[in-house]
Amino acid sequence: MELLMNLTINGLATGMLIFLLAAGLTLIFGLMDVLNFAHGGLFAWGAYASVWFYALTDSFVLAILGAILTGVILGFITEKLIITPVYGNHVQQILITLGFMLVLTEMLKVVFGPNQIAARTPELLSGSWEIGDVIIIKYRVFIIIMGFLVFGVFQYILKKTKIGLIVRAGVMNKEMVQALGINIKNVFLYVFIAGAALAALGGALMAPYSGVIYAEMGMEFAILGFIVVVIGGMGSFPGSLLAAIIVGITGSYMAYYVPSLSLAVNMMIMAIVLIFRPQGLFRAKG
Amino acid sequence: MMTTLLKVEGVHTFINQYHILQGISFEAKEGEVSVLLGRNGAGKTTTLKTILGLTPASKGSVLFKGEDITKKPTYGIANKGIGYVPEDQGIFASLTVEENMKVAMRKDDEETLAKQDYVLNLFPDLKKFWKKDGGHLSGGQKQMLAMARAFVGNSQLLLIDEPSKGLAPIVIEKVMEAIVDMKKHTTIVLVEQNFMMASRIGDTYTLIDDGETVQAGQMQELVHDEQLKRKYLGIG
Amino acid sequence: MITKYQWNNILLSIIVITLFIFPFVIDSRSWTILLTQIFIFSILAMSYDILLGFTGIVSFGHAMFFGIGAYTTAVMLDRLEPTISVFMLSIATGMIIAGLISFLVGLMTLRLKSHFFAMLTLALSGLFLVLAEKWRSLTSGNDGFTFRAPEFFKDRIMFYLVVLVCLIVVYILLRRFVQSPLGHVLVAVRENEQRTKSLGYNTLHYKVIASIVAGVVASLAGAFYAISLRFVNTSVLTMDITLDALLMTIIGGVGTLIGPIIGAGVIELSQHYLSGLAKDYPIFERWIIFFGIIYILAVIFFPSGIVGTFRKWFSKKNKTNGKENKSRSAGL
Repeated sequence: MELLMNLTINGLATGMLIFLLAAGLTLIFGLMDVLNFAHGGLFAWGAYASVWFYALTDSFVLAILGAILTGVILGFITEKLIITPVYGNHVQQILITLGFMLVLTEMLKVVFGPNQIAARTPELLSGSWEIGDVIIIKYRVFIIIMGFLVFGVFQYILKKTKIGLIVRAGVMNKEMVQALGINIKNVFLYVFIAGAALAALGGALMAPYSGVIYAEMGMEFAILGFIVVVIGGMGSFPGSLLAAIIVGITGSYMAYYVPSLSLAVNMMIMAIVLIFRPQGLFRAKG
Repeated sequence: MMTTLLKVEGVHTFINQYHILQGISFEAKEGEVSVLLGRNGAGKTTTLKTILGLTPASKGSVLFKGEDITKKPTYGIANKGIGYVPEDQGIFASLTVEENMKVAMRKDDEETLAKQDYVLNLFPDLKKFWKKDGGHLSGGQKQMLAMARAFVGNSQLLLIDEPSKGLAPIVIEKVMEAIVDMKKHTTIVLVEQNFMMASRIGDTYTLIDDGETVQAGQMQELVHDEQLKRKYLGIG
Repeated sequence: MITKYQWNNILLSIIVITLFIFPFVIDSRSWTILLTQIFIFSILAMSYDILLGFTGIVSFGHAMFFGIGAYTTAVMLDRLEPTISVFMLSIATGMIIAGLISFLVGLMTLRLKSHFFAMLTLALSGLFLVLAEKWRSLTSGNDGFTFRAPEFFKDRIMFYLVVLVCLIVVYILLRRFVQSPLGHVLVAVRENEQRTKSLGYNTLHYKVIASIVAGVVASLAGAFYAISLRFVNTSVLTMDITLDALLMTIIGGVGTLIGPIIGAGVIELSQHYLSGLAKDYPIFERWIIFFGIIYILAVIFFPSGIVGTFRKWFSKKNKTNGKENKSRSAGL
């Protein structure tokens, strides 16, 4: 019982981190038809920024805000310099975003050094609760709550606000949105920045969870993010949450029972989905 | 004397390497319905898209209220007061009727709300399915939603592409009545294959063939010009 | 009067002859090794060009095939005996395995749109890497293992010459391949897959063929790479290998075959030079960042790379009165 509980909580927490990365990927893809291979770089930058800000200010809240700010700035730069010039050309997009991923990863090593860096958990969130004979690690619960919170806030924005309405309309028909007098380029920029901020937040939350951060973590998580985006359906926000939870929990159980196959199983889920249902499980209608 | 709202002059448009429009000129006068006529593939739809900047002109000019809008981006042109009802209606399928309308409404002021009330009275079906997904509407309802949506966007000019396409005769009748009614409030440029419909609601016509304007004038003249109709429309 | 085509051939012959006599004139072990490395990566980059430059496919999993070649040769030389015949056999085996896997992967994934394909190949190669790390009995994982190369290759100059000959043969064969009717269909797929389909070609078949050719050639490069180090570990399967191939192809010039060779030379040489500088200026330890930036600039501003840009510039100079060449830059 304790084991199942722990594996599930573990999986949910990992799932939420993947969700934060995948949410941006899926929104950006759905709206802009751009698959951002540099997204993992934004995640890693978020992690490093949070550790840096935490060391500087000794406040975890400021560390997270600092990471989000980093994500916003990098998102702005990426959209303006990297995405806009090759808009509409898939091959160039893939090539250039991957190149940018390389630069982002290497820049981390230049700025923070090539070695792993330890990340600490804030006092308030360290330790665990004991409920009966079940031990629940506080920080994991915190991640899960944050994940659902972010999902709720974004879902509210998408469903209830004008900009959310425009984003959902844009996912379905960009030309029509423009014909209704909306500058879609601006919407692209906002969505890209929001996606980058989410990825950075994911990285920031990831740091204390894994205890160490390193530049390559971006690519590792990005692959999980891609798997989630495919399973959840490109452009589907709720789909990416559900798929992230599936991938997170599968990964956590497999890592315990058949550790050598944990990534393989998720890969297999993705391959099966791609082959039999390439639109994903929850493809946004269009 | 009615003033010219839209003036298209010698417009050429390329789509990829194809030279689709090779000299389109026409005018739309305020408060009139101007109909673009011509065979399939003559360039009528491209003309509308070029006015809106979706397929920008490579040569020639488009003037709206005397202002050159040829090089403006689509959203800017739309904001000047041009509404668009595309051939496929462009309904956002998983947005409700209400949300579809909201995307188009630039403001929440009384004037816009009055416009909304007006179109909802014109198309009571939309009020009935207010909370229903756009994708679940019938073809006729989609057409009405598309027209209503274009209208509430503060449009002084509506570009409507083949509103009768794929609709049952009784629905076409409704759409026609609505266009005639909307004419009181806005100017309309209509692309229409159905000559019966075009001739009943159009004030002026422009004949397009192979991407060129070949003839223009009052609709009444065309109705009686059997030779012209046979030559360019294959009817009569 | 010598035509431009003949000039090209004369130039090419001079370069080839120079390369052949080079190790006998300049007695430098490090130069011989460096040039051998360039040749090996030229083969890899050319194989990548078949995908990216000629068929318009972006694969992030090319390291898989390089790794297959490296491991097959290393394992067979280690387990059997370090002779030339085993080496030849291992090359053939590696090619067959690479061919089979690229056939299966291609059949499964090439139906997908470019985004999905790139993503899936990225994930698949990640999976391959994990597999190699876990299958320690065969690969010794990340620690890797050393093995004895055939006696024949102990002489660095001999190995240099063999790789050079292979590079030339592969270049000629691939050039034949892309100039064949089949190669023309590939280019048509690159330019407009939908149109090629509507002309009645089963584009999937052609893309699969391209990916098999690319996979087989990459495995050859991997086999030489393993021999050159006499050591193999899972690094041959990492993203870095794919990135190298990608950088070399893009910077050298996609869709030109000769471009990737130049790209391999430029990148390997500057890598060598920059890591030399790193002793004094630590920033150069991160030399790859410079390539990343150059690569990004190339994708935006010089999508046809060194060779393509040079050719365009050359043909413009020559065609002052002719009709301007409006063909799109290769692949991008």
